[in-house]
Order: sequence, then C-alpha cells, then structure tokens
Amino acid sequence: MDPATKRKRLDFVAVLARWFLGGIFIYMGLVKALDPVTFLKLVREYEIVANPVLLNLIASVLPWFEVFCGVMLLTGVAVRGSALLLFGMLIPFTLIVFKRALAIASAEGILFCAVKFNCGCGGGDVYICQKLIENTGLMLLALLPLIGLGKKWALRFSFWRKETVTAEPAPAPA
Amino acid sequence: MKRVLLEALLVAAVGAVIAFAANALSPRGLKLTQDYFHGETAPVPRAKAKPTQTIANSTNSSADPVVARLKEKGLQVVNGEQASELFHDPLYQQGGIIFIDARNDEHYQGGHIPGAYQFDNYHPENYMGIIFPVCQAAQRIVVYCTGGNCEDSQFAALTLRDAQIPNEKLFVYTGGITEWTNRGYTVEFGERNSGKIQK
Repeated sequence: MDPATKRKRLDFVAVLARWFLGGIFIYMGLVKALDPVTFLKLVREYEIVANPVLLNLIASVLPWFEVFCGVMLLTGVAVRGSALLLFGMLIPFTLIVFKRALAIASAEGILFCAVKFNCGCGGGDVYICQKLIENTGLMLLALLPLIGLGKKWALRFSFWRKETVTAEPAPAPA
Repeated sequence: MKRVLLEALLVAAVGAVIAFAANALSPRGLKLTQDYFHGETAPVPRAKAKPTQTIANSTNSSADPVVARLKEKGLQVVNGEQASELFHDPLYQQGGIIFIDARNDEHYQGGHIPGAYQFDNYHPENYMGIIFPVCQAAQRIVVYCTGGNCEDSQFAALTLRDAQIPNEKLFVYTGGITEWTNRGYTVEFGERNSGKIQK
C-alpha cells in the first residue's frame, strides 16, 4: 500500500473516530444535562467538592459543556482544540472514578473488577474495569483528531486557518 | 501546539458561556447558589447489602446511620408501623396529618402514599405555593422518599424547617415508599387523589 493510500485510510478512520467521540459525548452529556439532580447527587458521592456552589456548577454546567464539545467534534469545528479539551477532561474523570472504585472495593471487600456503580459518566451502573477500558479507548480516539487527522468532512477544522477537505483534488493533467 | 492550546481556550470559553445559558434556560436546571444538601457534604455511607437483608422494617434506632444523621439534625423519625398509624388516624382525612413525598415527578407518579403531597426539594419553587399553607395548617407532617440511603426526605424536611415550618411538626419516615409497598399498604398512582389506588 502506498503512503498516500495509507494516509487516506488513516484519515478516514480518524473521521469515524471524531464522529464516534462526538456522538458519545453528546449522548453522555445529554443524559446528565436532562437529569442534573441525579448527576448532582452522583458528583456529591465522590466527596471531592464540599462547596455547594462549586458542586452545583459541576453538575449543571459540565454536561452541557460536554455536549458542546461533542457537537464541535461531530461537525468538525475547532477540532484539535475540542479534542484536547475532551482528552484533558477524560484524564481526571478516569482517575477520580478509579479512586472511587478502589474505595468501594476496599469498603465492601470485593475484587476491584467486581465493583459496579454509577460513576456519573452517563451510562448508568457499570463495572469499573469496563469503564476504565472505555475511557482509555476514548482517550486514544481523541488523540487522532488531536494530532491533526480526520480533516475530511470538517466544517472548519481549525479556527485559525481553513483546513477543510471536502473533495479529492482533481488529478493533474498529464 | 500553541495554536491548539489557544483554540482549546477559545472553545472552552464559548462552551462555558453556552453551558451556563443552557442550564439557565433548562426547566430542569439547577440554581447555582442554592445549597440543596443543607451543608451535608458527604452522603450517608452505603449499607453493605446482604443477600438475606431487606429493608422491610425501618427503625427509630440511632444505630442506623440514616436515623443517626436525622436525629443529629434535630429531626424526628417514624418507622413503618407509626407511619401506618398516622395514615389511618382520622386526622389524616381532615388535613391535620399530611404525608409529603420528596421524590421527583416520575417516581411520584409511579406510586405514592395515597393523598401524599409532592415536594421535590430540588425545585422547591414549583411546590411551595401548595405545600406551605397545607403544612402551616397541619399538626404533623410526615416526609418520605424511597427509603434506604435516600436523603431527599431529610433535605425536604430541612427546607420546610428553613421556611419556618415548626420542627416539632416534622417527621421523617425512613423506610419510605419501598418499605410501605413491601408491607403491602395501598399506593396511589398518578396525581394526588387520582383515585388510582392499588394494594
């Protein structure tokens, strides 16, 4: 396979990754945004924020922010910046969920991978090992647009200059 | 890389503005300055579930962490039998005793203690107009939610107390709707006094 075809295929995979990631964040964000009280209670269970204003802020604003970033990825606007934000959010989310699962495993005397709880991620009750694998997968997917792949079918890949690729360039005349 | 960082900052700024606006416009949005948990920064520790354990019988014992926390807050507690006695008291039909369901619309509509008023502590403005005069007139107010580790009844009772409903009138039924249905007591579906009663 020549490098151009390889690059084209990788770019196509990156577009699918961008759409998938955008779709996932829109879905997960909407689940929380449409029931902020449940999300508020779940965030409180982590016991990392004591201030009520900060707690309310996380529960009410973060889900909509996730939806916004998801829409940016899906439509292909400011893709690298949006992917960086999602990647940056996934790291602390994963660490916090991991820490909580450790605490539950220790308190209930069960195996780490047997811990099942609603982490407030938007998908309901989930086994922790499955969640960690999912989040790692999402982080890897976020890396593809972050390094500049997946420009095809993007409305405006970068804010700063137009990097839209909508059609294959016409072959040069022989 | 600098461009990507700047782009991320720009997306973050625009996203934050939109997220704030969405929360403000959403009918389910949260009020940022409200302390929904009345200073309780941590939830009641989760009870370790045992296969044979049921929550069919709530107690008034301070050994129960939920009861201990309620008593610490100065709230009175009723168990399943006492809740049933209050429900069958003639005063209940006259409004001298009232039950308040502290759960959300979906759960309330899905089955509540017959005649119970709904009071969702997370949207008090939607209910206070109806609840407040009824609470003022009542001699005893029994607040409940799902039961178990559910804290919504506690927060609803504290919101009512903050609204100047005397503490001596307020009782929290810790067993909640779960214990009520487990005991085979009647449940009303849909709106209050809908007539859709089921045992």
